[in-house]
Amino acid sequence: MSELSTRLEAYLRHKLDAPDLTVADLARIPGGASRETYRFRARYGGKDRGLILRRDPPASLIETERTTEYRAYEAFHGLGLPVPEPIALELDPRPLERPFFIMEEIENCTTGSIMAPDPFGPHREKIGQQFYTVMARIAAADPRDVGLSDFEGETDIHAVAMHEVARWEKVVEEDEREPQPIVRAAIRWLKRNPPPPAQKISVVHGDYRTGNFLVDNDGNIRAVLDWEMSHLGDPLEDLGWAIDPLWSGGNVAMPGGMLPRDEAIRVWEKASGLKAEPKALHWWEIFASLKGAAIWISAAREYAEGRNTDPINAFSGWYCLAFHNKVLADRLGARA
Amino acid sequence: MNPEVGTILGLTAQKIAMGFGEHGAAFAQGTVGLLGIMLSLSAKEYDRGADIRFNENSDLRALFAAIAPAIGDTALRAKLEVAAAGAETSLRISTLNESNYALRRLLDEALIHAEDNGARDIERRIWAVMKELAARRLVSLAP
Repeated sequence: MSELSTRLEAYLRHKLDAPDLTVADLARIPGGASRETYRFRARYGGKDRGLILRRDPPASLIETERTTEYRAYEAFHGLGLPVPEPIALELDPRPLERPFFIMEEIENCTTGSIMAPDPFGPHREKIGQQFYTVMARIAAADPRDVGLSDFEGETDIHAVAMHEVARWEKVVEEDEREPQPIVRAAIRWLKRNPPPPAQKISVVHGDYRTGNFLVDNDGNIRAVLDWEMSHLGDPLEDLGWAIDPLWSGGNVAMPGGMLPRDEAIRVWEKASGLKAEPKALHWWEIFASLKGAAIWISAAREYAEGRNTDPINAFSGWYCLAFHNKVLADRLGARA
Repeated sequence: MNPEVGTILGLTAQKIAMGFGEHGAAFAQGTVGLLGIMLSLSAKEYDRGADIRFNENSDLRALFAAIAPAIGDTALRAKLEVAAAGAETSLRISTLNESNYALRRLLDEALIHAEDNGARDIERRIWAVMKELAARRLVSLAP
């Protein structure tokens, strides 16, 4: 750890043109299987800042592009959304052995646990209003206005849904270690029952959910995190993912442990100016569970083959995959 | 279940043996907590793993026996009949997995056939079994 601290200090002195900068209290923090995450203090020019280092791991849960994540932080921090300020992006592996980026630490906050029956307690409604409003503002933003029009993703409103299905089908094809008949059936259903064209092409966060934002003690959302899967797509993708029952321990009526489902959708529609037409939203909900299953299949493979032995990958391969298989079987089985 | 229990126990033991000191207390605490959950789930899987696979294989064979006569494709019908007549030769997880994977591949094939041919009754029967299989494989976090 001290070697990493020394190298980080040298890098930041040069990068921030701060020869007096010192790095202190560097410590790895749990979570974020897609990147190694560290918190540290940077003292320079009379300032004492809490910062976060996100470094590529040897292998990750889903291969993601750290440039994408960093640019999303830049864009939406610039738009005034609760997003940590990005400080530096380094693609050259020489300074810290692997590419990394550094951002502001949002201090004295917590995340809501997806395992907790009531993760936000008395603040659930206040947090829910902000949660769906911030998501709506991401959906409402024009990718060109926030400088992300070249992001990965399909820009044809008629083709975007199938583009996403193909993306996750490829992950299943590549990483499946045992036959997954429910997942395969879900992929076929999604292809045979395409949703209406997207109302617009937006930046999709890609992992917008309980567990991926920070709240303070007064119930204010201070930071939306984990933008590594962000891309261009149908804004209903984020809504479908956010209300997936996995994020509320199976409680479909109170997605994410915040607002009742209908109220959540109303808040999102009002703030985004978009409609969550039931047939389209249903398709994106099935898609969300399929995408989840693909991620967990990939995580299980990384773990089983020894490339990333973070126990969260084993947990994902067991608990999360079984959960999403059940959701898909119940939802698609009911239509058979 | 992937990864299998043996892999989880082996990698967990390795992580514990190596320690977490160099990463700091917060990371160590979070990692130990997750390792604890996985050990607890592994204990449950040790108890139920063979039972799940045995019953799943049995349910799939019964399903194949029930739907085979209604399958028009003779090659697929023959495969279903052969699978339905099969039986377990061992209760080792690895052996149960071997037959389980073959049966699940055949289940997928049968469902595709039903979807392509508009065989709604067969589809419904397959989905009813798949719902049961998914429910049986759910992982409970309760102590």
